[in-house]
Amino acid sequence: MKSRNLAILLTTGLVLSLAACGSDSSDSNAGGVKITVACQPAKTAAKQRKAWNDDVAAFEKAHPGVKVDSTDQQPCFDPKTFAAKLAGGQMETVFMVPVTNYTDVIAKKQAKDITGVTDLVKNYGDIKQDVRGMVTKDGKVYGVPNVSYSVGLVYNRELFTKAGLDPDNPPKTWSEVRTAAKKIAGLGDGYVGYGEYGGGNVGGWHFAQSIFSRGGEMVVEDKAAFNSPEGKAVLQNLHDMRWEDDSVGSKVLIGWEALMQQMAAGKTGMMLGAPDVVTDLVQKFQGNVDAYGITGVPEGKASLTGGEAYMINPKANAAQTKAAMQWIDFQFNTPGKGRHDYARGKANGEAVGVPNNDYMGDSPTGRAIVKDREANAVLPTENYRFYVDTAAGVAPKLEPAKAQELYAVLDVAMSAVLTRENADIDKLLADAEAKANTILAQG
Amino acid sequence: METLTMEPKRQLTPRRRPPTQRRRAVRSNLTAYGFLCAALFCFAMFAWWPIIREVVLSFQQTNLVDEPTWVGLDNFRTVVEDPAFGQAWRNTLVFTLLALLCGYIVPFAVAIVLNELRHARAYLRFVVYLPVMLPPIVSVLLFRWFYDPGPGLFNQVLDFVGLPALAWLDSTDTALISLVIVSTWMNLGSGVLIYLAALQNIPGDLYEAAELDGAGILKRIWHVTVPQTRLILLLMLMLQIVATMQVFIEPYMLTGGGPENATVTVAYLMYQYAFVYGGNYGAGSALGLMLMIVLLAVAAVQLRLTRDEKR
Amino acid sequence: MLNTTARPEAADETRAVAPAPQRRSRSRTKRRGAWAEGHARTIVSPLELKSRWGRRIYWALLATVLAVFTLVFVFPLYWMVTGAMKTGEEIAQMPPSLFPKAPDFSVFADAWELFDMGLLLKNTLFYAVGAWLFALAVDVTAAYALSKLRPMFGNVILGAMLATLMIPPIVVMIPAYITVTDVPIFGWQLLNSPWAIWFPVAANGFNIFLLKRFFDSIPNELLEAAEIDGVPPWRVLVSIILPISRPILGVVSIFTVVMVFKDFVWPLLVLPDSSKMTISVGLSQTAGQVTQNQIMAGLVIASVPMIIVFLFFQRSIMAGLTAGSLKG
Repeated sequence: MKSRNLAILLTTGLVLSLAACGSDSSDSNAGGVKITVACQPAKTAAKQRKAWNDDVAAFEKAHPGVKVDSTDQQPCFDPKTFAAKLAGGQMETVFMVPVTNYTDVIAKKQAKDITGVTDLVKNYGDIKQDVRGMVTKDGKVYGVPNVSYSVGLVYNRELFTKAGLDPDNPPKTWSEVRTAAKKIAGLGDGYVGYGEYGGGNVGGWHFAQSIFSRGGEMVVEDKAAFNSPEGKAVLQNLHDMRWEDDSVGSKVLIGWEALMQQMAAGKTGMMLGAPDVVTDLVQKFQGNVDAYGITGVPEGKASLTGGEAYMINPKANAAQTKAAMQWIDFQFNTPGKGRHDYARGKANGEAVGVPNNDYMGDSPTGRAIVKDREANAVLPTENYRFYVDTAAGVAPKLEPAKAQELYAVLDVAMSAVLTRENADIDKLLADAEAKANTILAQG
Repeated sequence: METLTMEPKRQLTPRRRPPTQRRRAVRSNLTAYGFLCAALFCFAMFAWWPIIREVVLSFQQTNLVDEPTWVGLDNFRTVVEDPAFGQAWRNTLVFTLLALLCGYIVPFAVAIVLNELRHARAYLRFVVYLPVMLPPIVSVLLFRWFYDPGPGLFNQVLDFVGLPALAWLDSTDTALISLVIVSTWMNLGSGVLIYLAALQNIPGDLYEAAELDGAGILKRIWHVTVPQTRLILLLMLMLQIVATMQVFIEPYMLTGGGPENATVTVAYLMYQYAFVYGGNYGAGSALGLMLMIVLLAVAAVQLRLTRDEKR
Repeated sequence: MLNTTARPEAADETRAVAPAPQRRSRSRTKRRGAWAEGHARTIVSPLELKSRWGRRIYWALLATVLAVFTLVFVFPLYWMVTGAMKTGEEIAQMPPSLFPKAPDFSVFADAWELFDMGLLLKNTLFYAVGAWLFALAVDVTAAYALSKLRPMFGNVILGAMLATLMIPPIVVMIPAYITVTDVPIFGWQLLNSPWAIWFPVAANGFNIFLLKRFFDSIPNELLEAAEIDGVPPWRVLVSIILPISRPILGVVSIFTVVMVFKDFVWPLLVLPDSSKMTISVGLSQTAGQVTQNQIMAGLVIASVPMIIVFLFFQRSIMAGLTAGSLKG
């Protein structure tokens, strides 16, 4: 390298560094409004992404002067960066929050009060009262819920048939789950009857789903309540399935994607999951569209609620707020449009027909959405009728306080029964209880 | 560091009258600081301030939006009471010891052997350093597949030679050692090459002399090679400890800290607090501060040993 | 050990002996064990090597080392490349096949699409080149000031810079992250900005240490003449110091680029936007959603740039490594 080139190089570096200080990007959009919206589908889901981009174009056309930028961060709500993005003004104008985080986000004033403008979402009033209640605090509204569901049992109908089980008579109790799992695992090498998580915080999450289904509790009055007959039954059942029946596989699954991937590969019989699991299996993980059915959670004493709402950046100005609400209205809450454009979904090979959302309940909009969904259903909707039939009657449960910390504690118990044949369940639960109480006591 | 101060004071210009000299001194200082300012900015903001901030943060609670509140020792109490706290330190310690065993003694032995070889040296050096060049995520994802209890390479090899399969990442007994294996595989090369360079600097006549004294090969290693490379060995010891104490990507990608917390490390727990448990930056910083103090202690001990050695 | 001085010949001392045996080996047939000589003296003497048993043990050892090294360090990479070319069925098959039955190269194209490799590589290259230019500019000027201009408190500043080497970045991950979200005084918000990578990379005490030591070894007489002629300091830096500092600049450059390419935790935190991700983070984010052979194809693609860098800059990298051992 010649010295002159070196000098040029160094100067470039210095100029670059100086330029940094002066490059305060100002987004003054002459006359127009610019909003950024989260949750554009990833590039791996090409068709869904195109559909989203078409929606953005259609929306911009219908609202002249509004410019919409999409972000496709995966997962689209990332607890890791949420606080920092918001603090640093990097948060999208419209962002999605899962039900787990509603309380936290609202309490920390990280979402805009939209009480006065809810009428911009035309069907806001049709959203179920209890679902709206979750985003309302002291009479103020902080978000527009647009998904709500409860956990059920997702199962592979093809494997049921293959194993000589009746896919139209899915397990209703945990002991039936165990019997079915054993039969499916008996199909040969690599077959897993019932898939379960053992770490990465999702193990504890599924423990919560299981204990709720048996009528147990996670936390009662700021005290851990899972060291109970129901909690023991959850672990004992899992332990026996692992070590007596060998029907849960030998690989410990860590992280949400691990079980999804395994389920989508077509050799796993059952897993706990909400209807959105079916959608993801088919769309994100390229699972076989026809294979998956869903039924109510075994035993069905209660079920963990899932769902999401769109909220608006507290730093958005009035014009942006208006455009943002119009976007939420257009994309997520209009029958036949955006998310509810089931005809297009069908054409794109989505698992249309999955009852993955009943946030509108039995309102006119809700009925219109369901009607539209069933008219375009790709699958015989009876694959899901067991879920629909039972879901309405199952008591919904919210996630406990300090959910992630508790899940980390319960990961230990879950991984223990999955990796050690001699795991002492009573001791595991007692230990976890003590640890959880310490965490809960820290307030 | 001592060598830096040993240089003679520079005297560029012959002595002149004091006022001019003072003006010159001011101007030359200004110029020097002009050259320094970019580095000072970078260090101040991204090296020095974070260290101070870590101390401050560990006594605070913040959500990044509102003003932080002082909480005294609460953060420390939180992390010490954490069920995984003791385990995390124990794991980090065991990981460090195992990694030292594999990543410290083995490369030294390998380097000694390599230095004796007269053929294929370039190939061997290239090959041993290849994994070091790969981004760690590549090694980690590759080994995740090798560790797969079913079709994974390792169990297939065990099966091939007639040994029973191991659970690797999925057992409390083998999970931590499995992480050490990945970590060693991807870092071994740098140690080997550093030792190799050190070995090449040992004057040959020392060996000649030892040989004349009738020393066998092992004695020559013990009485010539080891003493001659002692400084580097000491230095590498500290670098290794510092490097292994920050182990993060292995548990993050491979085990999620499990099974049964068998692979939770301090750095991993720190990450959990700040970025998984709803942004508890205070508690995470408290853990970071503890780790920092331990590492500084290690560095102090090392510095002491080196100084004794130099005397 | 001192190959980071202004005397490049010192750096070559260790290399000078290495090629010798290869040259000699061609004439091996002429004289048995001739390869044992012409090599720097090591633990085993040439005489011992040339003895009958010495030769036998030597060849056995060489064969073992070659076999073990190839198995341990090359075979996993072979497994990665061939794994990528197997079908989903074949990759899960037990026992595995040593060669893919029908090598399928289209998987690389699939992985390129799925992982969005074009974007990830472009991003990473951008961060690496930017970091290289910026770190070089910042660290060279600083080292020059500390070495030749010697301002007041210069040694204090240097000491403070070197002290940061004792504290690995992960320990201060949280406060550094918070700094990035809101840089004190300036109020910049660097999340998802390349500066979140570039600023911390430039704050590298080790680079400054290497550069300053090298500059220290440049005789002052060289500069004094220029100074008396009234040449301004920046010209002294550009036209006198830099040209003779090429070896050390090479080492620092390689260090910086490799560091940026390999880093994981920091970009994971500060570049969360999927259009801004580095290759390491991008791989980790998508790996959960694709098949095993596609993951392997992704890993292969991600490894290629680093292996190319290694092939081209092997000398600088190895020289830098020995310089690295002087750290502290």
